[in-house]
Amino acid sequence: MKRRGTGVGCMFYGVGNTGLPNPAAAFVQVLPDTSVHVTVGAADIGQGSSTMAASVAAETLGLNYEDIHVVWADTMYAPEGGATSASRQTFITGNAVKNACQTAMGELKRTASEELNVPEEDLVFRKREIYSNKDASVRMTYPELMAAMGKKGRLAVGAGYYNPKTTYLSPVDMSGVPYELYSYATCILEVEVDTDTGEVSLLKAVSAHDVGTPIGIKLVEGQIEGGTAMGTGFVISEKIDVDPKTLAIKNPTLSKYIIETSMDVPVVYPIVVSSEGEAGPFGAKGVGEPALIPSIPATIAAINDAIGSSFTSTPIFPADIVKAWKEQQKTQG
Amino acid sequence: MNKITVHCTVNHKPVAVEIDPNKRLLDMLREDLNLTSVKEGCSEGECGACTVIFNGEPVTSCCVLAGQAEGADIITLEGVSVDGKPDVVQQAFMDAGAVQCGFCTPGMILTAEALLAKNPAPTEEEVKQAMSGNLCRCTGYAKIVEAVLLAAERARGGV
Repeated sequence: MKRRGTGVGCMFYGVGNTGLPNPAAAFVQVLPDTSVHVTVGAADIGQGSSTMAASVAAETLGLNYEDIHVVWADTMYAPEGGATSASRQTFITGNAVKNACQTAMGELKRTASEELNVPEEDLVFRKREIYSNKDASVRMTYPELMAAMGKKGRLAVGAGYYNPKTTYLSPVDMSGVPYELYSYATCILEVEVDTDTGEVSLLKAVSAHDVGTPIGIKLVEGQIEGGTAMGTGFVISEKIDVDPKTLAIKNPTLSKYIIETSMDVPVVYPIVVSSEGEAGPFGAKGVGEPALIPSIPATIAAINDAIGSSFTSTPIFPADIVKAWKEQQKTQG
Repeated sequence: MNKITVHCTVNHKPVAVEIDPNKRLLDMLREDLNLTSVKEGCSEGECGACTVIFNGEPVTSCCVLAGQAEGADIITLEGVSVDGKPDVVQQAFMDAGAVQCGFCTPGMILTAEALLAKNPAPTEEEVKQAMSGNLCRCTGYAKIVEAVLLAAERARGGV
Protein backbone atom coordinates (compact mmCIF):
# COMPACT_ATOMS: atom_id res chain seq x y z
CA MET A 1 0.00 0.00 0.00
CA LYS A 2 1.20 3.50 -0.77
CA ARG A 3 0.61 6.07 1.90
CA ARG A 4 1.37 9.78 1.81
CA GLY A 5 2.51 11.93 4.68
CA THR A 6 3.60 15.48 5.32
CA GLY A 7 6.13 16.76 7.84
CA VAL A 8 7.38 20.12 9.02
CA GLY A 9 10.86 20.99 10.27
CA CYS A 10 11.90 24.33 11.76
CA MET A 11 15.30 25.53 12.82
CA PHE A 12 17.39 28.45 13.89
CA TYR A 13 21.10 28.38 13.40
CA GLY A 14 23.88 30.49 14.87
CA VAL A 15 26.20 31.71 12.11
CA GLY A 16 29.93 31.50 12.83
CA ASN A 17 32.03 29.66 15.37
CA THR A 18 30.38 29.09 18.74
CA GLY A 19 31.52 31.55 21.42
CA LEU A 20 34.94 31.94 19.82
CA PRO A 21 36.74 34.69 17.94
CA ASN A 22 36.67 33.81 14.22
CA PRO A 23 37.80 36.78 12.15
CA ALA A 24 38.29 37.01 8.39
CA ALA A 25 40.07 39.69 6.35
CA ALA A 26 40.18 41.16 2.83
CA PHE A 27 42.49 43.33 0.71
CA VAL A 28 41.07 45.66 -1.94
CA GLN A 29 42.52 47.94 -4.59
CA VAL A 30 40.62 49.97 -7.17
CA LEU A 31 42.94 50.17 -10.21
CA PRO A 32 43.26 53.12 -12.60
CA ASP A 33 41.10 51.36 -15.22
CA THR A 34 38.32 51.06 -12.56
CA SER A 35 38.77 47.32 -12.28
CA VAL A 36 39.14 46.07 -8.70
CA HIS A 37 41.34 43.47 -7.08
CA VAL A 38 39.76 41.80 -4.06
CA THR A 39 41.84 39.23 -2.18
CA VAL A 40 40.23 37.01 0.44
CA GLY A 41 41.29 33.90 2.32
CA ALA A 42 37.80 32.37 2.09
CA ALA A 43 37.82 29.03 0.26
CA ASP A 44 35.01 28.86 -2.30
CA ILE A 45 33.97 25.20 -2.38
CA GLY A 46 31.10 25.91 -4.74
CA GLN A 47 28.82 27.77 -2.37
CA GLY A 48 29.74 31.06 -4.02
CA SER A 49 31.83 32.96 -1.48
CA SER A 50 33.92 34.52 -4.28
CA THR A 51 30.79 35.61 -6.12
CA MET A 52 29.53 37.04 -2.84
CA ALA A 53 32.83 38.92 -2.28
CA ALA A 54 32.59 40.46 -5.76
CA SER A 55 28.96 41.45 -5.21
CA VAL A 56 29.71 43.10 -1.86
CA ALA A 57 32.72 44.97 -3.32
CA ALA A 58 30.72 46.20 -6.33
CA GLU A 59 27.85 47.40 -4.13
CA THR A 60 30.14 49.14 -1.62
CA LEU A 61 32.36 50.83 -4.20
CA GLY A 62 29.54 51.78 -6.57
CA LEU A 63 30.95 49.70 -9.43
CA ASN A 64 29.54 46.78 -11.42
CA TYR A 65 29.98 43.11 -10.57
CA GLU A 66 31.98 42.66 -13.80
CA ASP A 67 34.57 45.21 -12.59
CA ILE A 68 35.63 43.02 -9.66
CA HIS A 69 38.31 40.32 -9.81
CA VAL A 70 38.54 38.08 -6.76
CA VAL A 71 41.68 36.18 -5.77
CA TRP A 72 40.75 33.67 -3.11
CA ALA A 73 42.11 31.02 -0.78
CA ASP A 74 45.74 31.34 -1.94
CA THR A 75 47.62 31.64 1.35
CA MET A 76 50.66 33.08 -0.43
CA TYR A 77 48.67 36.27 -1.18
CA ALA A 78 45.47 36.21 0.78
CA PRO A 79 44.90 37.32 4.38
CA GLU A 80 43.35 35.06 7.01
CA GLY A 81 39.84 33.95 6.06
CA GLY A 82 39.17 31.25 8.59
CA ALA A 83 37.40 28.04 7.69
CA THR A 84 34.65 27.65 5.13
CA SER A 85 32.39 26.22 7.81
CA ALA A 86 29.69 27.29 10.23
CA SER A 87 27.92 29.03 7.30
CA ARG A 88 30.15 31.99 8.15
CA GLN A 89 31.85 33.30 4.98
CA THR A 90 29.02 35.49 3.65
CA PHE A 91 28.63 37.06 7.07
CA ILE A 92 32.28 37.42 8.08
CA THR A 93 34.33 37.60 4.87
CA GLY A 94 31.48 39.65 3.38
CA ASN A 95 31.86 42.21 6.17
CA ALA A 96 35.64 42.12 5.76
CA VAL A 97 35.33 42.97 2.07
CA LYS A 98 32.90 45.77 2.90
CA ASN A 99 35.28 47.19 5.50
CA ALA A 100 38.27 46.98 3.15
CA CYS A 101 36.28 48.75 0.41
CA GLN A 102 35.23 51.48 2.82
CA THR A 103 38.87 52.12 3.68
CA ALA A 104 39.76 52.23 -0.04
CA MET A 105 36.93 54.74 -0.50
CA GLY A 106 38.58 57.25 1.82
CA GLU A 107 40.79 58.61 -0.96
CA LEU A 108 38.05 58.15 -3.58
CA LYS A 109 35.66 60.28 -1.52
CA ARG A 110 38.29 62.93 -0.76
CA THR A 111 39.14 63.23 -4.46
CA ALA A 112 35.52 63.20 -5.68
CA SER A 113 34.67 65.81 -3.06
CA GLU A 114 37.42 68.11 -4.34
CA GLU A 115 36.54 67.55 -7.99
CA LEU A 116 32.77 68.04 -7.60
CA ASN A 117 32.95 70.56 -4.76
CA VAL A 118 30.49 68.47 -2.77
CA PRO A 119 30.97 67.47 0.91
CA GLU A 120 32.09 63.84 1.26
CA GLU A 121 29.00 62.86 3.24
CA ASP A 122 26.72 63.98 0.38
CA LEU A 123 28.44 61.81 -2.24
CA VAL A 124 26.70 58.77 -3.73
CA PHE A 125 28.78 56.08 -5.47
CA ARG A 126 26.50 54.01 -7.67
CA LYS A 127 26.79 52.02 -10.93
CA ARG A 128 30.12 53.54 -12.03
CA GLU A 129 29.05 57.12 -11.27
CA ILE A 130 29.57 59.51 -8.39
CA TYR A 131 26.99 62.24 -7.72
CA SER A 132 25.64 64.56 -5.04
CA ASN A 133 22.57 63.38 -3.16
CA LYS A 134 21.50 67.05 -3.05
CA ASP A 135 21.79 67.61 -6.81
CA ALA A 136 22.17 64.56 -9.02
CA SER A 137 23.30 66.72 -11.94
CA VAL A 138 26.58 67.35 -10.11
CA ARG A 139 28.26 64.13 -11.14
CA MET A 140 31.33 62.42 -12.55
CA THR A 141 32.07 58.97 -13.91
CA TYR A 142 34.34 56.45 -12.20
CA PRO A 143 36.97 56.67 -14.99
CA GLU A 144 37.01 60.47 -14.48
CA LEU A 145 37.47 59.95 -10.75
CA MET A 146 40.31 57.48 -11.26
CA ALA A 147 41.97 59.90 -13.70
CA ALA A 148 41.78 62.60 -11.02
CA MET A 149 43.21 60.16 -8.46
CA GLY A 150 46.09 59.47 -10.86
CA LYS A 151 46.84 63.17 -11.35
CA LYS A 152 46.95 63.72 -7.60
CA GLY A 153 49.10 60.65 -7.02
CA ARG A 154 46.52 58.90 -4.84
CA LEU A 155 45.76 55.19 -4.61
CA ALA A 156 42.50 53.54 -3.58
CA VAL A 157 43.64 50.69 -1.36
CA GLY A 158 42.14 49.09 1.71
CA ALA A 159 42.52 46.24 4.11
CA GLY A 160 39.71 45.25 6.43
CA TYR A 161 38.60 42.49 8.69
CA TYR A 162 35.63 41.47 10.75
CA ASN A 163 35.25 39.43 13.89
CA PRO A 164 31.72 38.56 15.04
CA LYS A 165 30.63 40.05 18.34
CA THR A 166 30.59 36.99 20.57
CA THR A 167 31.83 36.16 24.06
CA TYR A 168 33.52 33.07 25.40
CA LEU A 169 30.91 30.84 27.02
CA SER A 170 31.02 30.20 30.75
CA PRO A 171 32.37 26.69 31.41
CA VAL A 172 30.00 26.49 34.39
CA ASP A 173 26.63 27.10 32.74
CA MET A 174 27.49 27.90 29.07
CA SER A 175 26.08 31.41 29.47
CA GLY A 176 27.36 34.13 27.16
CA VAL A 177 26.88 35.28 23.55
CA PRO A 178 27.67 32.30 21.33
CA TYR A 179 26.71 33.97 18.01
CA GLU A 180 26.18 37.46 16.71
CA LEU A 181 23.40 36.48 14.35
CA TYR A 182 21.03 33.61 13.56
CA SER A 183 19.42 32.25 10.40
CA TYR A 184 15.90 30.82 10.51
CA ALA A 185 14.18 28.30 8.25
CA THR A 186 11.14 26.06 7.87
CA CYS A 187 10.76 23.10 5.53
CA ILE A 188 7.49 21.35 4.70
CA LEU A 189 7.98 18.05 2.94
CA GLU A 190 5.68 15.42 1.43
CA VAL A 191 6.60 11.75 1.00
CA GLU A 192 4.96 8.64 -0.35
CA VAL A 193 5.78 5.44 1.54
CA ASP A 194 5.32 1.97 0.07
CA THR A 195 4.38 -0.10 3.11
CA ASP A 196 5.18 -3.39 1.32
CA THR A 197 8.73 -2.51 0.22
CA GLY A 198 9.50 0.25 2.72
CA GLU A 199 10.58 2.52 -0.10
CA VAL A 200 10.20 6.26 0.49
CA SER A 201 9.55 8.55 -2.48
CA LEU A 202 10.34 12.20 -1.80
CA LEU A 203 7.63 14.18 -3.54
CA LYS A 204 7.78 17.88 -2.75
CA ALA A 205 9.61 20.15 -0.36
CA VAL A 206 8.83 23.78 0.32
CA SER A 207 11.75 25.29 2.16
CA ALA A 208 11.66 28.89 3.35
CA HIS A 209 14.84 30.55 4.60
CA ASP A 210 15.38 33.88 6.30
CA VAL A 211 18.75 34.83 4.85
CA GLY A 212 18.66 38.51 5.75
CA THR A 213 19.41 40.32 2.49
CA PRO A 214 20.05 37.64 -0.15
CA ILE A 215 23.30 38.21 -2.05
CA GLY A 216 22.62 36.41 -5.31
CA ILE A 217 19.14 34.81 -5.27
CA LYS A 218 20.18 32.04 -7.67
CA LEU A 219 23.04 30.99 -5.40
CA VAL A 220 20.77 30.99 -2.36
CA GLU A 221 18.21 28.85 -4.21
CA GLY A 222 20.96 26.48 -5.30
CA GLN A 223 22.10 26.13 -1.71
CA ILE A 224 18.54 25.38 -0.55
CA GLU A 225 17.95 22.81 -3.32
CA GLY A 226 21.26 21.09 -2.65
CA GLY A 227 20.84 21.19 1.11
CA THR A 228 17.39 19.64 0.87
CA ALA A 229 18.84 16.77 -1.18
CA MET A 230 21.52 16.22 1.48
CA GLY A 231 19.07 16.41 4.39
CA THR A 232 16.51 14.05 2.87
CA GLY A 233 19.31 11.66 1.87
CA PHE A 234 20.54 11.73 5.46
CA VAL A 235 17.15 10.28 6.44
CA ILE A 236 16.43 7.71 3.74
CA SER A 237 19.72 6.43 2.31
CA GLU A 238 22.92 7.79 3.86
CA LYS A 239 24.63 5.95 6.67
CA ILE A 240 28.30 5.99 7.61
CA ASP A 241 28.94 2.41 8.62
CA VAL A 242 31.65 2.37 11.28
CA ASP A 243 33.30 -0.84 12.42
CA PRO A 244 32.81 -0.80 16.22
CA LYS A 245 36.16 -2.51 16.82
CA THR A 246 38.53 -0.76 14.44
CA LEU A 247 36.48 2.44 14.03
CA ALA A 248 37.22 2.19 10.30
CA ILE A 249 34.53 3.38 7.93
CA LYS A 250 33.23 0.25 6.21
CA ASN A 251 31.49 1.95 3.30
CA PRO A 252 33.81 4.70 2.00
CA THR A 253 32.59 4.30 -1.59
CA LEU A 254 29.69 5.77 -3.52
CA SER A 255 28.38 2.28 -4.31
CA LYS A 256 27.91 1.63 -0.58
CA TYR A 257 27.21 5.12 0.75
CA ILE A 258 24.13 6.01 -1.24
CA ILE A 259 23.46 9.64 -2.09
CA GLU A 260 20.47 10.84 -4.05
CA THR A 261 20.44 10.97 -7.84
CA SER A 262 18.38 13.23 -10.07
CA MET A 263 15.64 10.56 -9.89
CA ASP A 264 15.48 10.58 -6.08
CA VAL A 265 15.45 14.24 -5.06
CA PRO A 266 12.14 15.88 -4.24
CA VAL A 267 10.89 18.82 -6.23
CA VAL A 268 12.15 21.69 -4.10
CA TYR A 269 10.37 25.03 -3.93
CA PRO A 270 12.90 27.37 -2.30
CA ILE A 271 11.46 30.48 -0.68
CA VAL A 272 14.01 33.19 0.03
CA VAL A 273 12.80 35.37 2.89
CA SER A 274 14.43 38.77 3.32
CA SER A 275 14.82 40.41 6.67
CA GLU A 276 16.48 43.66 7.64
CA GLY A 277 18.84 45.01 10.22
CA GLU A 278 21.20 42.06 10.56
CA ALA A 279 24.93 42.34 11.17
CA GLY A 280 26.11 40.80 7.89
CA PRO A 281 27.13 42.80 4.80
CA PHE A 282 24.01 44.72 3.68
CA GLY A 283 22.12 42.56 6.17
CA ALA A 284 23.09 39.16 4.67
CA LYS A 285 23.24 35.96 6.73
CA GLY A 286 24.53 32.43 6.15
CA VAL A 287 22.46 29.76 4.38
CA GLY A 288 24.96 26.90 3.91
CA GLU A 289 24.00 24.58 6.73
CA PRO A 290 20.52 26.05 7.35
CA ALA A 291 19.72 24.84 3.81
CA LEU A 292 19.90 21.23 4.91
CA ILE A 293 18.93 21.21 8.57
CA PRO A 294 15.10 21.56 8.55
CA SER A 295 14.64 18.97 5.80
CA ILE A 296 15.88 16.24 8.16
CA PRO A 297 13.12 16.50 10.82
CA ALA A 298 10.60 17.31 8.08
CA THR A 299 11.37 14.02 6.31
CA ILE A 300 11.21 12.00 9.53
CA ALA A 301 7.91 13.65 10.47
CA ALA A 302 6.51 13.01 6.99
CA ILE A 303 7.36 9.31 7.21
CA ASN A 304 5.80 9.15 10.69
CA ASP A 305 2.71 10.92 9.36
CA ALA A 306 2.43 8.47 6.45
CA ILE A 307 2.60 5.23 8.42
CA GLY A 308 1.86 6.24 12.00
CA SER A 309 5.37 5.38 13.16
CA SER A 310 7.41 7.23 15.76
CA PHE A 311 10.92 7.41 14.31
CA THR A 312 13.15 9.96 16.00
CA SER A 313 16.57 9.16 14.54
CA THR A 314 18.28 8.68 11.19
CA PRO A 315 18.68 6.85 8.90
CA ILE A 316 15.34 5.18 8.27
CA PHE A 317 15.88 2.32 5.84
CA PRO A 318 13.16 0.29 4.04
CA ALA A 319 13.51 -2.63 6.51
CA ASP A 320 12.88 -0.23 9.41
CA ILE A 321 9.77 1.06 7.71
CA VAL A 322 8.33 -2.38 6.92
CA LYS A 323 8.95 -3.40 10.53
CA ALA A 324 7.36 -0.24 11.95
CA TRP A 325 4.36 -0.62 9.65
CA LYS A 326 3.81 -4.23 10.71
CA GLU A 327 4.04 -3.30 14.40
CA GLN A 328 1.62 -0.49 13.81
CA GLN A 329 -0.85 -2.87 12.13
CA LYS A 330 -0.51 -5.33 15.02
CA THR A 331 -1.23 -2.65 17.62
CA GLN A 332 -4.26 -1.51 15.67
CA GLY A 333 -5.51 -5.03 14.87
CA MET B 1 55.23 -4.71 -19.69
CA ASN B 2 55.01 -4.32 -23.46
CA LYS B 3 53.29 -1.13 -24.45
CA ILE B 4 50.39 -1.04 -26.87
CA THR B 5 49.37 1.69 -29.25
CA VAL B 6 45.76 2.82 -29.22
CA HIS B 7 44.39 4.55 -32.31
CA CYS B 8 41.21 6.49 -31.81
CA THR B 9 39.52 9.83 -32.49
CA VAL B 10 39.56 12.23 -29.57
CA ASN B 11 37.69 15.51 -29.86
CA HIS B 12 37.39 15.21 -33.64
CA LYS B 13 41.14 14.53 -34.16
CA PRO B 14 42.79 11.15 -34.82
CA VAL B 15 45.37 10.21 -32.19
CA ALA B 16 47.77 7.31 -31.61
CA VAL B 17 48.82 6.87 -27.98
CA GLU B 18 51.43 4.44 -26.69
CA ILE B 19 50.35 3.15 -23.27
CA ASP B 20 50.65 0.31 -20.79
CA PRO B 21 47.90 -2.21 -21.59
CA ASN B 22 46.45 -1.98 -18.09
CA LYS B 23 45.85 1.76 -18.30
CA ARG B 24 42.32 3.03 -17.90
CA LEU B 25 40.80 5.29 -20.54
CA LEU B 26 40.41 7.93 -17.80
CA ASP B 27 44.17 7.97 -17.18
CA MET B 28 45.05 7.95 -20.88
CA LEU B 29 42.86 11.02 -21.44
CA ARG B 30 44.19 12.87 -18.40
CA GLU B 31 47.85 11.87 -18.38
CA ASP B 32 48.73 11.20 -22.02
CA LEU B 33 46.40 13.66 -23.72
CA ASN B 34 46.23 16.27 -20.92
CA LEU B 35 42.42 16.39 -21.06
CA THR B 36 41.97 17.24 -17.40
CA SER B 37 38.27 18.11 -17.67
CA VAL B 38 37.77 14.35 -17.27
CA LYS B 39 37.49 14.03 -13.48
CA GLU B 40 38.16 11.03 -11.29
CA GLY B 41 35.53 10.73 -8.58
CA CYS B 42 34.65 7.29 -7.23
CA SER B 43 36.79 5.11 -9.57
CA GLU B 44 34.01 2.50 -9.62
CA GLY B 45 31.54 3.74 -12.22
CA GLU B 46 29.08 5.17 -9.70
CA CYS B 47 29.46 8.93 -9.82
CA GLY B 48 29.82 9.83 -13.50
CA ALA B 49 32.50 12.53 -12.98
CA CYS B 50 34.73 10.78 -15.55
CA THR B 51 32.00 10.55 -18.20
CA VAL B 52 33.08 10.84 -21.83
CA ILE B 53 31.02 10.38 -24.98
CA PHE B 54 32.21 7.06 -26.42
CA ASN B 55 30.79 6.29 -29.88
CA GLY B 56 27.81 8.50 -29.05
CA GLU B 57 27.12 7.00 -25.62
CA PRO B 58 27.95 8.51 -22.23
CA VAL B 59 30.46 6.14 -20.63
CA THR B 60 32.34 6.24 -17.32
CA SER B 61 35.96 6.24 -18.48
CA CYS B 62 37.23 4.87 -15.14
CA CYS B 63 35.68 1.53 -16.04
CA VAL B 64 37.05 1.31 -19.60
CA LEU B 65 40.52 0.02 -20.41
CA ALA B 66 42.27 2.35 -22.81
CA GLY B 67 42.84 -0.56 -25.19
CA GLN B 68 39.07 -0.86 -25.58
CA ALA B 69 39.08 2.57 -27.19
CA GLU B 70 40.82 1.25 -30.33
CA GLY B 71 38.94 2.77 -33.27
CA ALA B 72 36.50 4.60 -31.01
CA ASP B 73 35.22 8.15 -31.33
CA ILE B 74 35.66 9.94 -28.00
CA ILE B 75 34.45 13.38 -26.97
CA THR B 76 35.49 15.13 -23.75
CA LEU B 77 34.39 18.53 -22.52
CA GLU B 78 37.33 20.06 -24.41
CA GLY B 79 35.72 18.85 -27.65
CA VAL B 80 32.33 20.40 -26.92
CA SER B 81 33.04 24.11 -27.07
CA VAL B 82 32.89 25.75 -30.48
CA ASP B 83 35.92 27.91 -31.41
CA GLY B 84 36.77 28.26 -27.73
CA LYS B 85 33.26 29.50 -26.93
CA PRO B 86 30.67 27.65 -24.86
CA ASP B 87 28.16 25.62 -26.86
CA VAL B 88 24.44 25.67 -26.20
CA VAL B 89 24.57 23.17 -23.31
CA GLN B 90 27.53 24.85 -21.60
CA GLN B 91 25.85 28.25 -21.94
CA ALA B 92 22.60 26.88 -20.49
CA PHE B 93 24.48 25.46 -17.47
CA MET B 94 25.92 28.92 -16.83
CA ASP B 95 22.62 30.74 -17.36
CA ALA B 96 20.61 28.36 -15.17
CA GLY B 97 23.15 28.49 -12.32
CA ALA B 98 23.67 24.72 -12.63
CA VAL B 99 27.27 24.81 -11.41
CA GLN B 100 28.37 25.00 -7.80
CA CYS B 101 31.72 23.33 -7.03
CA GLY B 102 31.97 22.27 -10.67
CA PHE B 103 33.51 18.83 -10.18
CA CYS B 104 30.53 16.96 -11.66
CA THR B 105 29.94 19.56 -14.38
CA PRO B 106 32.06 18.12 -17.23
CA GLY B 107 30.38 14.73 -16.86
CA MET B 108 26.96 16.32 -16.52
CA ILE B 109 27.42 18.36 -19.70
CA LEU B 110 28.65 15.36 -21.70
CA THR B 111 25.73 13.20 -20.56
CA ALA B 112 23.40 16.04 -21.54
CA GLU B 113 25.10 16.36 -24.95
CA ALA B 114 24.68 12.62 -25.58
CA LEU B 115 21.02 12.79 -24.55
CA LEU B 116 20.19 15.80 -26.71
CA ALA B 117 21.98 14.29 -29.73
CA LYS B 118 19.53 11.39 -29.58
CA ASN B 119 16.50 13.11 -28.14
CA PRO B 120 16.35 16.82 -28.97
CA ALA B 121 13.06 17.33 -27.11
CA PRO B 122 13.27 15.33 -23.88
CA THR B 123 10.66 15.57 -21.14
CA GLU B 124 11.72 16.51 -17.62
CA GLU B 125 11.42 12.84 -16.60
CA GLU B 126 13.61 11.77 -19.52
CA VAL B 127 16.24 14.33 -18.52
CA LYS B 128 16.22 13.11 -14.90
CA GLN B 129 16.50 9.51 -16.09
CA ALA B 130 19.39 10.32 -18.44
CA MET B 131 21.30 12.32 -15.81
CA SER B 132 20.76 9.78 -13.02
CA GLY B 133 24.18 8.19 -13.56
CA ASN B 134 25.90 11.47 -12.74
CA LEU B 135 26.01 12.34 -9.05
CA CYS B 136 26.04 15.91 -7.78
CA ARG B 137 26.40 16.74 -4.10
CA CYS B 138 25.97 20.50 -4.31
CA THR B 139 22.98 21.46 -6.43
CA GLY B 140 20.19 18.99 -5.65
CA TYR B 141 19.98 18.66 -9.48
CA ALA B 142 17.13 21.19 -9.87
CA LYS B 143 19.15 23.73 -11.84
CA ILE B 144 21.00 20.99 -13.78
CA VAL B 145 17.70 19.57 -15.05
CA GLU B 146 16.54 23.13 -15.78
CA ALA B 147 19.76 23.75 -17.76
CA VAL B 148 19.35 20.64 -19.92
CA LEU B 149 15.73 21.54 -20.72
CA LEU B 150 16.81 25.11 -21.50
CA ALA B 151 19.59 23.87 -23.79
CA ALA B 152 17.15 21.59 -25.60
CA GLU B 153 14.72 24.45 -26.10
CA ARG B 154 17.44 26.80 -27.35
CA ALA B 155 18.91 24.16 -29.67
CA ARG B 156 15.47 23.74 -31.22
CA GLY B 157 15.37 27.50 -31.77
CA GLY B 158 12.81 28.18 -29.06
CA VAL B 159 14.52 30.88 -27.04
